[in-house]
Amino acid sequence: MTDLNDIIDFDDLDANERERLERVHALLLQAGPPPELSPSLTKPGAPPEPARILHLQPRRQRVLLLAAATVAAVAFGGGYLAGHPSTFTAERVVDMHATGGGNALAVLKIAERDAVGNWPMRISVSGLPQQAQRTAYYELWLTRKGQPSESCGTFRVHGKTTTVDLSVPYSFKGISGWVVTAHTPGETEPGDVVLTT
Amino acid sequence: MAVALALRTIGPVTSDGELIQRAATGDRGAFEDLYRRYARPVFGLALRRLGDRGRAEDAVQETFASIWRSAASYKPDRGPGAPWLYAVARNAIVDRARTRTDTPTENLIEQADDGAGPSEQAEQGWVAWRVHRALEELPEREREVVALAYWSELSQSEVAEFLGLPLGTVKTRTRAALAHLATLLEDELE
Repeated sequence: MTDLNDIIDFDDLDANERERLERVHALLLQAGPPPELSPSLTKPGAPPEPARILHLQPRRQRVLLLAAATVAAVAFGGGYLAGHPSTFTAERVVDMHATGGGNALAVLKIAERDAVGNWPMRISVSGLPQQAQRTAYYELWLTRKGQPSESCGTFRVHGKTTTVDLSVPYSFKGISGWVVTAHTPGETEPGDVVLTT
Repeated sequence: MAVALALRTIGPVTSDGELIQRAATGDRGAFEDLYRRYARPVFGLALRRLGDRGRAEDAVQETFASIWRSAASYKPDRGPGAPWLYAVARNAIVDRARTRTDTPTENLIEQADDGAGPSEQAEQGWVAWRVHRALEELPEREREVVALAYWSELSQSEVAEFLGLPLGTVKTRTRAALAHLATLLEDELE
């Protein structure tokens, strides 16, 4: 039915109320039917618990930071830019290194906030193990007071280096850093921290 | 009279923004209220954009996980909760599209819509989001007649027969439902 006259009687309504209902009628037609929820969606899942941060000894951390900065510059300076559009203009670049003594690295580039209030970002990761399960993934987080607080997106890796574009609406005020966590199906989110700033 | 009576049944409800702020403090009840209000709009948006129920279900789960984690970043002085929730959902859906395909993602958010340009598609997505959210606030018996009147392809006489109600009752109930929706969608009607 597309004619409001076929749906309700409104001869007794004043013009304003009639116009109001006609607008609602038009919105309903424009919106279309709401979807039926699948049984798995009838209730929310358990909210994620805070991430488990794997802390390093300070000295080892400093060594890794230095190594990360050096290797990131070499690893991403050429190959990364060759494989992806160079139109991404970074306002800020953040290096990330592996927790637990691994060799993984990441470079996070953040562009200026766009017109609608999102911050585009591009993360390039190298050395993270490819996911063993089809539904496993990694997740980039903002941290506040050292704890993951806002997700910036999820991604999977393949090959030596993976580059992914993300966009988030969050303010960066008050953040303490960034981490990447590894999420395995069946485990509580956000999972173990594998990369950190 | 029927419309006036029906309008009075809409009592003061906790705003979306208040629920988000409460969720930010770890209030799971508030989080579940948000889920009740927005699960269907999020799923509808995800289906519209991703075109696949399985991926849309994943996007719903990720959206609400993201809402829970990032609720503290919501600033009520910057606007009501619905646009913030829409932005979080939209990002989660784009992320879902990006992580599950190797295809370019620039226009993925709009790929399931045909014929309209990006701005029209965005507008349609937002309208559907708001309307589906408002439908969740209707009493069940009003939501039922709206669904049957608009999307079942039945005439109102057939709806009346289906529900075992007089035709006049079905039309009155539908009109009350539209009046409720008009109140709930005040911003869209301006």
